Amino acid sequence: MHVFVKQVPDISTLEYDPSTLAPRLEKATPRLGESDLVALEAALRIKESWGGEVVVLSAGDGLNELVLREALAMGADRCFYVSDPILSRADAWVTANILSRLSKKAGGADLLLCGEASSDSGNYQLGPRLSEAMGIPCITHAVSVELDGKVVRVRRSLEDRTEILESEAPLIITASLELASPRLPSLLMIKAASKKPMTRVDISELGLEKDLLEPLVERLSVRVLKTARRNIVLDGGPLECAERLVESLVREGVLRA
Amino acid sequence: MMTVLILAGELDELLELRTVADQIGAQDVEALVPDALVDGDTLSSLGLKRVYLLEGFEETPPEELVKIVIDLVKKRGHGLVVGPSKKIYRELFARTAQNLSSPCLTDCTSLESVEGSLVAERPFLGGGYVERLAIKRLPALLTIQLMGRRPQTREKGSLEMVRLGRLSTEDLRLRRVAVEKVERRGADLAKARVVVSVGRGFKRREDLKMAEDLAQLLGAELACSRPIASDLGWMPEEKHVGLSGKWISPQLYIAIGISGQVQHMVGVRNSRIIVAVNNDTSAPIHREADYSVPLDLYQFIPALIKVLRERGARVA
Ligand SMILES: Cc1cc2nc3c(=O)[nH]c(=O)nc-3n(C[C@H](O)[C@H](O)[C@H](O)COP(=O)(O)OP(=O)(O)OC[C@H]3O[C@@H](n4cnc5c(N)ncnc54)[C@H](O)[C@@H]3O)c2cc1C
Ligand SMILES: Nc1ncnc2c1ncn2[C@@H]1O[C@H](COP(=O)(O)O)[C@@H](O)[C@H]1O
Repeated sequence: MHVFVKQVPDISTLEYDPSTLAPRLEKATPRLGESDLVALEAALRIKESWGGEVVVLSAGDGLNELVLREALAMGADRCFYVSDPILSRADAWVTANILSRLSKKAGGADLLLCGEASSDSGNYQLGPRLSEAMGIPCITHAVSVELDGKVVRVRRSLEDRTEILESEAPLIITASLELASPRLPSLLMIKAASKKPMTRVDISELGLEKDLLEPLVERLSVRVLKTARRNIVLDGGPLECAERLVESLVREGVLRA
Repeated sequence: MMTVLILAGELDELLELRTVADQIGAQDVEALVPDALVDGDTLSSLGLKRVYLLEGFEETPPEELVKIVIDLVKKRGHGLVVGPSKKIYRELFARTAQNLSSPCLTDCTSLESVEGSLVAERPFLGGGYVERLAIKRLPALLTIQLMGRRPQTREKGSLEMVRLGRLSTEDLRLRRVAVEKVERRGADLAKARVVVSVGRGFKRREDLKMAEDLAQLLGAELACSRPIASDLGWMPEEKHVGLSGKWISPQLYIAIGISGQVQHMVGVRNSRIIVAVNNDTSAPIHREADYSVPLDLYQFIPALIKVLRERGARVA
């Protein structure tokens, strides 16, 4: 099994520069994406029930090995990664091209899992793009995954319906946040992870033609969204508060009484 | 001049996406819609050149639709393909884009033409930020975050309708063994003037009755946070608001038992007035509310219902 995990800034601790309104990404704590970890958890459970090896794959600029080791501490066996400045400008196209080759380089897999959306860019694209690039079917937004002999059975949830799909390997699955809750590694697991193999692959080893590395989208700017709110705290007991709220809403013109 | 192809499964989606084509001054606009959507009158006043009707459109899985879209785009040379930000379209567009060596941008909140090139904005970093992106190659495929934009009315024009036969493009490697439709309830959240929204502060499904009563009294629509729909399944998925759900802009948004994480707030940021009911005074929602009620919802909501009844208060 291959699991794609992306190193992203921890949004909960992210700050912005009040003069430019841009995020201070260089000061952010790096972590692995939420739905990526869900995909990893799903792979680990498959491994525990049905066997197999779990390899994590990642691409980024200035990747922190300690952060990638968190995936190994959860129970992944090995890691292959590309750390290259090219990824600071990479869009979904370039990312998919790099990761599909990295997956091949790492020996291919029967089951490839990734998150439904990365926590920073939220493109929802890697799974479907890999599917086209690698010629492997993909089931997006999985909320459950079961193995039944050779058959992989996936339940997926869409806005207006849920579906159950079946396929044989090879198969790509993108994990909805609800597929599993990522485990917290124990101290023992963290220690064990320090000995697990990590392979840094140079981007030149992937044999990517130039146009596969040329982004089709360029980021011009990023700015924080701020909406001024009045922050009026209503105090008192439930009835008092309710009276005050209704009065205020009448005054605001949204209610008539 | 750029040709635009709009994909939409519903009339409201088509209407809103039509405004996006206007924003970039596109002259030549076509649409691919389900054949059930044929409403000649409305379609012909949208200034569309051509409408492709596809039987079973919304049921056709993305891995099959992709072949139809690629075929159309190649034949007609569309520079831009737009669709609503829904799971099926995001997947379809990402696939099509990979196939055509094209860019795909999901959840776009704006699109403009700047000195001849397309510039889009979309949420970034969980929705607390917006990124501005220049599109370097066409055709580009964009899913647009629906926010209730309405197109200008136009003179009725002539419209060519093209029926597309169902192609047999089934991917035999994937078998759909069961499909369960979720029943639609209530009106469109995007159009609601007042929205009552529930979060994990509700301990049991039955307790949502309180919020339903409140919504009914106010003539409001009921919405929820993602976990209420997706983890707990207490509400249909299409009722969750936020980054991965609906983006709404009511006059009044009442968030009950919702912590107010950035991924939730991005979907309600355009509300005129936000009321937060949450007994944890440190919950982030209190910083993003106009009126904060730092009380237990189980005490406050019945009190609010009582006051509203006594006063005969209604939505203005
Ligand atoms: C990629 C990604 C996308 C996401 N997209 C979305 C999205 O689109 N929409 C969305 O909503 N979330 C989304 N989330 C999840 C989001 O981060 C939060 O986890 C979620 O919004 C929390 O839901 P909640 O507020 O209902 O639950 P919680 O965070 O558990 O909050 C419950 C709140 O209820 C309060 N409470 C408890 N008991 C009471 C009581 N008796 N009276 C009053 N208050 C009470 C608590 O103080 C708490 O603040 C996304 C997450 C990720 C990673
Ligand atoms: N640079 C990356 N390295 C490893 N995995 C990635 C990378 N980018 C995206 N992914 C994976 O693909 C998923 C979807 O990402 P995205 O298409 O950017 O929304 C993420 O949840 C990750 O699992």
